[in-house]
Amino acid sequence: MQQVKNKLGVVFFPAFDWAISPTHPERQERLLYTMDQLKEEGVFDIPGIREYKPELASRQEIEKVHFCFPDVLSNITDSHLISAGGCIKAGKLVMEKKEDKAFALVRPPGHHAMKVVHGGRGFCNINIEAIMIEYLREKYGVKKVAIVDTDCHHGDGTQDIYWHDPDTLYISIHQDGRTLYPGTGFTSEIGGPKAKGKTINIPLPPNTSDEGFLYAMENVVLPILDDFAPDLIVNSAGQDNHFTDPITNMNFSARGYAKLSEMLKPDLVVLEGGYSIQGALPYVNLGIVLALAGLDYSYVKEPDYDPKKFEMDKRTMDYIKRICETARKNYFSPPQSSITLEKDGNWIVRNKEIFYDTSYIVERQKEYILDCENCRGVLKIESSSSRVKNCLAIEAPINCCEKCLNTAYMEYDKAKEKGYSHIQFIDRVNKKVLR
Amino acid sequence: MLFGIDVGGTHTDAVLIDKEVGVRAYVKIPTDPDDLLGSIRGAISEILSQEKGVEIERFNLSTTLCTNAIVQDLLEPVGVIVSAGPGIDPHKFSIGNYYEVIPGGLDHRGTEIYPLDISHANKVISNLLDYGVKVFSVVSKFSPRNPVHEEKIAELIQDKADFITLGHKLSGQLNFPRRIATAYYNSAVWPIFDKFLDSVKRCLEEFKLSPQLNILKADGGTMPYNTAKRIPVESIFSGPAASVMGIFGLCDITEDTIVLDVGGTTTDIGVLAAGVPLIEPENVRLKERPTLVRAMKVKSIGLGGDSAVRVNGDKIEVGPKRLGPCMAKGGDVPAFLDALNCICDETYGDKDASFKGMHKINENLKCSLEETPIRIVEQGCKILKKEVSEFIDEINERPIYTIHELLEFRKIEPKKIYLMGGPANILKKFIEKEFGLPVVVPEYFGVANAIGAAIARPTMQAELFADTEKKIMTIPVLGIKENISKNYNLKVARKDIQKNMSIYIRENLGWDIDLSELEIIFESSMNMVKDVFTVGQDIRVKCQVKPGICKDYENVVRCVCNR
Repeated sequence: MQQVKNKLGVVFFPAFDWAISPTHPERQERLLYTMDQLKEEGVFDIPGIREYKPELASRQEIEKVHFCFPDVLSNITDSHLISAGGCIKAGKLVMEKKEDKAFALVRPPGHHAMKVVHGGRGFCNINIEAIMIEYLREKYGVKKVAIVDTDCHHGDGTQDIYWHDPDTLYISIHQDGRTLYPGTGFTSEIGGPKAKGKTINIPLPPNTSDEGFLYAMENVVLPILDDFAPDLIVNSAGQDNHFTDPITNMNFSARGYAKLSEMLKPDLVVLEGGYSIQGALPYVNLGIVLALAGLDYSYVKEPDYDPKKFEMDKRTMDYIKRICETARKNYFSPPQSSITLEKDGNWIVRNKEIFYDTSYIVERQKEYILDCENCRGVLKIESSSSRVKNCLAIEAPINCCEKCLNTAYMEYDKAKEKGYSHIQFIDRVNKKVLR
Repeated sequence: MLFGIDVGGTHTDAVLIDKEVGVRAYVKIPTDPDDLLGSIRGAISEILSQEKGVEIERFNLSTTLCTNAIVQDLLEPVGVIVSAGPGIDPHKFSIGNYYEVIPGGLDHRGTEIYPLDISHANKVISNLLDYGVKVFSVVSKFSPRNPVHEEKIAELIQDKADFITLGHKLSGQLNFPRRIATAYYNSAVWPIFDKFLDSVKRCLEEFKLSPQLNILKADGGTMPYNTAKRIPVESIFSGPAASVMGIFGLCDITEDTIVLDVGGTTTDIGVLAAGVPLIEPENVRLKERPTLVRAMKVKSIGLGGDSAVRVNGDKIEVGPKRLGPCMAKGGDVPAFLDALNCICDETYGDKDASFKGMHKINENLKCSLEETPIRIVEQGCKILKKEVSEFIDEINERPIYTIHELLEFRKIEPKKIYLMGGPANILKKFIEKEFGLPVVVPEYFGVANAIGAAIARPTMQAELFADTEKKIMTIPVLGIKENISKNYNLKVARKDIQKNMSIYIRENLGWDIDLSELEIIFESSMNMVKDVFTVGQDIRVKCQVKPGICKDYENVVRCVCNR
């Protein structure tokens, strides 16, 4: 009989009746063989590993995280409510101590969904990790959270949502943005003025294999986590770094993923991307489940895996070491920005242009963050897209000071006179959303 | 006429049911655990002495023989030979004294990724034969997708073994460790069960009876003699299923319902969803090892007539332990039944002894002596309520994999309780009060299990799996593997599984089944995509014949409950 070290809850929801389109990577078949493998291995019979079904997330839970324009429902389908609800369920299991760890093995994914949502980006419409984390913050008072994103694509959505939040550490390990969607996630991206060093990017070169990934874990991720000392570690477990993934160029293995999970010791794991549905997902997911539960995964091996084929040369390893050194410094002694911040009175201003590749929408944003001495400041975003024009978003964050809260309400009242097509005001202090 | 017999741990119950008048005779005698055949013989002769010269069409037997053999470790040594691909270390699933892993492996689509090491297999087999192993179980990982490795290994043993169980023939469900355990137990109980079946047959002949002999399964269905000889493991835990089938037959139930069978040591909780017994494809555990034996969803809890009662602080505790019989039957420790005995008009055993027990309990309680048994019974009902609601929650928590199912999900919400077992009549009003639900105690509740066995009919489940890229269709439990065209689709698959199952049922189970009884319980057809092109369909269909009762007997049996 196998004995688990950690009790593990798996919220498994393969959504066998949902696809972006019939041959899209994000299609019905995606978790079919993963299910077959997990069932055939009898994983859910191992005492200490239990399967759960997801809940449905509510509109309110989404509106506390995202500014959805024109509204939530026109941006999502039921499948998104379920995958977000699956994450919430996983979070509850751990917070209520029913399980030591939980894995939301759900689809569709979410880490490309940003703070403002006008449509789908990179197969994602809403950010399922962020919805879970904010739910846990509000319900259980969780404060410091670390998100370690091991998807091959830079989690630009999660980065955007937590850019200004000093209580959320976002670390992303991914394939260099110069060679892969979404083209961001460079070491220079380190978080907003009030959260410098709380966004850490580790862009790895194409063909990085186990050695490179585990080096970054050992030398960057773990020491930073040690220092940050989060209440909760969340792993955005994309599986597209795998050597068989059809839309990326990395050489990570199932056992590498398992090892990574073992080192990271996350409380909550959320499936993100990963589209090698036959050659990788069944083995990677099995490896992650076993590693999380603290079971032996040494027999988990892709049929065609030969580590010798993926040995890394010294030059590439040296390059990775340099990237890792920069990433480390970004946390422990974040550099001053070389670009002077644009200001409008007390507001720090950023202009952004965002492309929604899945929905084919272009959005322009002007983002204002109030430069407050006492808290991270009110967030205000003016947003227009090719679908919905002239929207306004205001957020008084969860620990915002009284002065900022007043400012947020004043801005909201002022905005109502100004003829915006849609206004959404998130008041996290009083736990309400006004539209 | 139908003859139903349930050889339980404590009692052997038997009934004779007539097509015209319903229950003609019934009997309850103590079971002799060392001589089950004797108990069967005793029950038959009692019934036949009540009703002479009857013609018995079907003799349905529910027996604990295999369960006991497993619990008491009276098992034949089995050579378990497995092959596995990558995943969890197959040595972790080791069972029995002769467990051997042969190099070789298939992947999740049944593609061979490592060839089977035949010479290694031969060596292992000849060693096992040298040790005197006579029965074997052969299981490979993903064999329901492709049985090739199991078949190859079986070929090597064929002429040298008394009996071989092949994993894929037991179930099309994917679950390698369960398949191993199920195949192991199937072979391990085979010799004893095979001999037993033959002696039951001879025993019937002694009584000049030649009915069709059927064995009850854990899912509330029957299997004929020949099938039972091939898959004896299916006969385990048929007792609770017999009880649920009894209620199902006796009462016309259409809503969500709980069935409580209060026995001596335990109470079995069963559930009918909208009047249909709930089956779990993977339910039965044998010595902590989960198996693939399909079973009725039943939970046994440690609360029965003989459950010990004691006081802890100011709290009354009932069960889960049994410390001998209740005091009314000569035990030393007051039990649940003693409390019941003190508050009912009828007398069970030595009523004074029961009262003595209540005195003993009352010493440590603040309430009056009259109140004591009532408080004990109420506490017992509280435990039942808690266990039932946990059980219902567990059922409602079952995983779901499609959006449609999740949005349409119908929770089970019991509206009624059917109560059976010895103390059913006394318990009725207490359970009614605790649960706030109407409670029905059907007529013949004492032998409902035997009635359930008598009127049960065959059940079956099969899975079809088609891969139009590989152009192969398989139905593992029927041993079917066919080549198909690229255009094979879900519609054809549905027809295929129904056709093949009805042929099998007619030829092997002796039942001309109506196509409407072959219920499709799962189906899916998914695009298999390579790069950006659809290369085929992955088609899966699951079909079942759910538990039911003999149509000819439905009316005569059912009216008993409605009276």
